[in-house]
Amino acid sequence: MHPDSTETLVNQRLADKVFETERNAVLNTWPTGADVNFREGVRYQLDLPVEKQFSAVMKAADDAGRTLLQPRAGVALLQEQIALLTDLQPYCDVLPTTIDAYTRHNRYDKCANGIARSREAGRSLMNGFPAVNHGLQGCRELVEALDKPVQVRHGTPDARLLAEITLAAGFTSYEGGGISYNIPYAKSVKLRDSIRHWQYCDRLVGRYEEEGVRINREPFGPLTGTLVPPFVSHCVMILEGLLALEQGVKCITLGYGQGGNLVQDIAAIRSLRELGEEYFSAAGYSGYQLSTVFHQWMGGFPDEESSAYGVICLGAAAASLAGATKVIVKTPHEASGVPTMAANRDGLRATRQMINMLGEQQKPAGDDVALETDMIKREVRAVLSRVFALGEGNIAEGTIRAFESGVMDIPFAPARANAGVLMPVRDDNGALRVLDKGNSPLPDDVLAFHRDRIAERAASEGREPSFQMVIDDVNAISNSRLIGRPL
Amino acid sequence: MKSMSNKHEYKVVLGVIGSDCHAVGNKILASVLGQAGIDVINLGVMVSQDEFIDAAIETGADAILVSSIYGHGEIDCHGLRGRCFERGLDDVLLYVGGNLVIGKSDFQDIETLFLKMGFDRVCSPRVDLHDLVKWLKDDIIEQRFAREPLTKSA
Repeated sequence: MHPDSTETLVNQRLADKVFETERNAVLNTWPTGADVNFREGVRYQLDLPVEKQFSAVMKAADDAGRTLLQPRAGVALLQEQIALLTDLQPYCDVLPTTIDAYTRHNRYDKCANGIARSREAGRSLMNGFPAVNHGLQGCRELVEALDKPVQVRHGTPDARLLAEITLAAGFTSYEGGGISYNIPYAKSVKLRDSIRHWQYCDRLVGRYEEEGVRINREPFGPLTGTLVPPFVSHCVMILEGLLALEQGVKCITLGYGQGGNLVQDIAAIRSLRELGEEYFSAAGYSGYQLSTVFHQWMGGFPDEESSAYGVICLGAAAASLAGATKVIVKTPHEASGVPTMAANRDGLRATRQMINMLGEQQKPAGDDVALETDMIKREVRAVLSRVFALGEGNIAEGTIRAFESGVMDIPFAPARANAGVLMPVRDDNGALRVLDKGNSPLPDDVLAFHRDRIAERAASEGREPSFQMVIDDVNAISNSRLIGRPL
Repeated sequence: MKSMSNKHEYKVVLGVIGSDCHAVGNKILASVLGQAGIDVINLGVMVSQDEFIDAAIETGADAILVSSIYGHGEIDCHGLRGRCFERGLDDVLLYVGGNLVIGKSDFQDIETLFLKMGFDRVCSPRVDLHDLVKWLKDDIIEQRFAREPLTKSA
C-alpha cells in the first residue's frame, strides 16, 4: 500500500495495523522481499556479538572521547564486496556498504542488468552494492564474513524494502532521512512521500528497539556537499532526529559535512550536539543515545593524490579537534570517482595518523569558536521556530511548508521541491556565510554579521560578491585553495 | 533550414543522464554557457536518453551535452548515438563529460571508449569551461557548413 500522498502528514508513531498492512505491500515490491521475517530477523540481530553492533561500538567511542573511522565502499557483486570490506576492515573501526544509484531509485530491474553486465565485464560497472537484489542471504553472507559493524549508506528516498532486507540480515546502522535523502538525491519525489517512507524506516528501527535490538540511525548531514552553511544542515538534522525519535528510534548520530574553515567546523559539531540535546529533550524525549559524525570534504577534490591527502588530513584534524564520534573518510581518488580498495585504505591510513596525533590533545575552546557556535545556534533556532509555526506544532507538515516557502532552502540541490535561492559564499577566512538569504528567516543582526564578513572578502579581492565568486568557491579546493580568489 | 539570424545562434540541450542527481556542475554549466550567449535547454538531473532526444527534436538544438558524475556513465550512455539515428536526429552533436566510468582510469582510454560510442567530444571533469564554449561554437558552425548545399557556399 502506498500511503496517500494528499493526506496530512503527522509526526506521530505509525499505528501497528497501518505498519503491518504497509509492510506486506513493501515486501511484495521485489521477489527478495519474501525472505524477510521480522521475528527471525530479531533473533539474528540478538545473536550478533557486541563488536558487530554499531550502537555499542559508537557508545564505547563516545564514552572514551574517541573518533571512529569509517570509509565508503560498495561494488556490484557479492564476492567482490566481501573481498573489498575484508581488505578495508583492518584500517577502520566501523564498516559501510554503499548502495548503488539504481537501488536508490528502486530500479531493481536495472540493478539486475547492472549485475549481469558487471559479471560479463569482470569488473563492477555499478557505483555501489545492490543489496535488495542480493537479498537476505547475500547480505547475511556479507555480514558474517566481517568482524565489525556494518552500516547501510545510500541516498534512497523510499528505502523501506532496503531497510527490511538489510536490518533482517544483520546490518546494525541505517543512514538517511526523509529530507536528507530526498532534496539532495532526487528530482521530483514529493517531500510528503519521502518523509512518510522514512517514518516507516524509523518505525521499523523502533520495532527492533522494542525487541531489544538497538539499531543506529544516522541522518545524512552533508546534504549537497557544496558550501552548505552549518545552520542549513543542522536544521535538517534536528528535524530528522525528532521524526526518528517519535517512531521509537533510540540511537541517533547527527551529521555534518566539513566546510573547510577549522573554527567554523569545530563550532558546527559542538553546536550540533548541543542543539540536538536541546531540541530532543524539549520535545519530551529521553533515554536516547546521541553521537555525531563528521564527513571529510564532500565537494570537488584536487586531481593530484598528494594534494587530496591534504584535504583528507584537514578533515581528519577538524573531526578530531571538534570531538566528533565518527569521521567518514575520503580517498585520494575522489576527483575521479569510485576509488579502488588501495586508495580507500590509504585515505584511512592518513586519517588514522591525524586522529592518533590529535586525539589526545586539548580541544580548542577560544572566543572565536564560542562566537561561531553561538551564531549557528541562533540561526538554527530562528529557522526551526518558523518551521514549528508553519506546521502549527506538527513538524512533518511544517517541514513541507518550510521547503515550499523557501524558509528551508538547501544550496545546489536537484529537487524541484527546493527553492534554490539561498546562496552561500566564503568570507575572507574561508568560513561559509550567506550571500543571498532567500526566504530563510535569519535575524537582522545575524544577517548583518554575514554581510560584514562577505564585505571584508570583497574588499580584499577588489570585486563585488556575485555568483562568479560562488563558482570560484565551488572550484577552489580542486584548485588547491580554500577560498576562490581571482587569479 | 535554420536561420542564422536567430537571436541565439547556438542552442544546446543540457542534462545529467540516468539516475544521477549531481546538480552542482549542471547549474554552473548552465550559467557559464548562458553567459557565453548559448541558448541552454537545461533538463537538470536524472535525464533519460529519450528525454534528451525529445528536447533536442522539440527545440531544434545543435548539440546534446550529457553529464555523468556517479560512475554509471558507461551503462547510461550506451546506445545513445544509435537512438538518435532511430529518432531521426542525424546530425546532432553529442558531447559527454564528467566522471564517466567506475574507478580511476587514464582519460585517454575513457575518451577513446566514448568516441567509439559515437560522441563527438569527451570532456574530463577538469575541462576549462571557456575551452568547452569555444569547441561547442566551432563544432556547431562546422556542422552547419557541412549541412549546407554546396551551391550555397562562397
